[in-house]
Amino acid sequence: MTPELAVLALLALLRAAPPILYAALGGLLSELGGKINVALEGLMLVAAFTGVIAAIYPPPGLPPMLLPWWGLLAGLLAALLLAGVLAVLHLECGADLIVAGIALNLLAAGLTVFLLAELVGDKGSTAAFATPALPSLHIPGLAGWPLLDLLLNGEGGRGHHVLVLGAPLLAGAAWLFLCHTRLGAWLRAAGENPAAAHAAGIPVRRMHYLALLGSGLLAGVGGVYLSMGYLTLFQADMSAGRGFLALAAVFVGRRNLAGTCGAALLFGAAGVVATRLGALEVAPQLLAMLPPAITIAALALPGWRRRRKQPLS
Amino acid sequence: MKRIADFLLPPESRRTVGAVCVALLAGLLLIAGVSDEPLRAWLILLTGALPELRQASDGGWHWHRLVRFGTVLEDTINLTLLGLAVAIPFRARQFALGADGQLFLGALAASVAALCWPGPAWLALPMACGAAMLAGGAWGGVTGVLKWRCGANEMVVSLMLNLVAIEFYRLAITRWLRDPGAGFPATPFFPPEAALTPLIAHTGVSWMLLAAPLMVAAVALLLGRTTLGYEIRVIGAAPAFALQAGLPVGRATVLSMALGGMLAGLAGFHIGHAVLKRLPVDLAPGLGFEGLLVALLARHQPRAILGAAFFYAWLRAGGQAMERGTDVSREIALVLQALVIVLVMAERWPWRPGRGEAS
Repeated sequence: MTPELAVLALLALLRAAPPILYAALGGLLSELGGKINVALEGLMLVAAFTGVIAAIYPPPGLPPMLLPWWGLLAGLLAALLLAGVLAVLHLECGADLIVAGIALNLLAAGLTVFLLAELVGDKGSTAAFATPALPSLHIPGLAGWPLLDLLLNGEGGRGHHVLVLGAPLLAGAAWLFLCHTRLGAWLRAAGENPAAAHAAGIPVRRMHYLALLGSGLLAGVGGVYLSMGYLTLFQADMSAGRGFLALAAVFVGRRNLAGTCGAALLFGAAGVVATRLGALEVAPQLLAMLPPAITIAALALPGWRRRRKQPLS
Repeated sequence: MKRIADFLLPPESRRTVGAVCVALLAGLLLIAGVSDEPLRAWLILLTGALPELRQASDGGWHWHRLVRFGTVLEDTINLTLLGLAVAIPFRARQFALGADGQLFLGALAASVAALCWPGPAWLALPMACGAAMLAGGAWGGVTGVLKWRCGANEMVVSLMLNLVAIEFYRLAITRWLRDPGAGFPATPFFPPEAALTPLIAHTGVSWMLLAAPLMVAAVALLLGRTTLGYEIRVIGAAPAFALQAGLPVGRATVLSMALGGMLAGLAGFHIGHAVLKRLPVDLAPGLGFEGLLVALLARHQPRAILGAAFFYAWLRAGGQAMERGTDVSREIALVLQALVIVLVMAERWPWRPGRGEAS
């Protein structure tokens, strides 16, 4: 493989991985806060939908330049709202978190198609309307290094989508937050042992809210990228299982940041390979089986080995 | 008076009924937001599934809209089986969400049996049915074994197994079972002796209509009257106690998931052999999750699952009738189903603290 090909493959990965990465960061945040967030899929879907609809029906007087940012804001608020519903249902009303998350996924799937049909008049997608994409950023001064230029600015020097560039930054921010701030330590403590954290004076319930709302926000970023970056339209069920893959990435990554990011990138890469090899004789379905198969193996193997070593425990 | 009220509406189901009513009213509000004639649309949603007795011009009475009612019955059978499939592992506190994949594999196994080994009906049907239950049960058992032997999170594993099963189904239909004469990837129609004959003309309502209540009774018996059922219930109610008492926790866990898988596989058999008579490649995933909603609405009580499944099937058919007759799309049925669950799940309402803490 020539370096150019490798860089082109990396570029495809950079385009496809962010939705899973953002959602996986969200899943990790809530998981470390002791609250498993099964609703990532629904959160992405709602954010993707609201972003596009808000951009199609903007408030009067909004300059066109701000349109995609308004969409981003609306999508994030919608995801935050749904995550808030989940948090209130679980923390205030005592609903089972997993069951509530699944119910909200179904609610999101039904509600987005319902509103799509009512607002756009088409159950499939918003293809009839032009959706503004968030801008791409060009990093100047790289003309001297062609490969680096290709990697950091994409083909034709168009630059990368803002949310693509935001993904590694956000992963870094998550690391700083979780490992180097007091709030992050509190969050992890509240997840590790709520009773002990409470005894130590940590506001446990607030930390649980933070975990769920934060994961909603992050999944929302991934969702908005899907409909206003990766594609520039909303399709029914466009999250297509990415939220579940993100949840799996948290488990495959053994609940730490580096592992989760690695697993999310791996799943993104599997998706890229599946679409690239679709034209060849390899059945695309076989490749689509890869991420789930990797997940199952990654979840099963450590336990199996541990059992082998200590058969009695 | 109170006793009559308790008999008609047992106290434990009052909250469910209340939640259903609130969700239906919320549906009216939602429809009012998007429709020009909200009340008519809402009434069609609620009554559209009802068959009509109409007088024809020659003076005789005829049933109308029986085909639509037939879809209600078909969906009731599917959702009952899937609801049971989810409820059994849930009673052992296993969040196994693999009903979708088990259904796809069950349907696939049944169609392979029907297409590859043709035979007389008395042989072909039990064989297809057995193949479906075997495939579904095995797929469910895999989740259980991975949980028992490797400690793998059953929810994530079952979701991933769903993806694998659905992709395998699509691969098998497009590559190996495809009917070259069909315009889209689908299996050939099953030979007539391998398909279930309809009880109502032009519908897929078959003798499986009896299988649904039968399975409900069987699962109720299993959970309430057998050793395995007792083990499953104890594991669900008090896992630590079950371990201390030396119950075969691993075995019962695996069996609960395998039994659930068998029922989901049976639902796959029903979809292939009674409803569609062939398998298209784009069989929509997600029915397993609706089964989950049914199980939740019934609070995992097998006896209540039949009613819950009927209610959801009713809403689905009503939604379709509404889409055809008015300007509101049928997805509202899914919204209402999820809304009911959200309301049912709330154990307490924070703005009523006094009563909430006691329950």
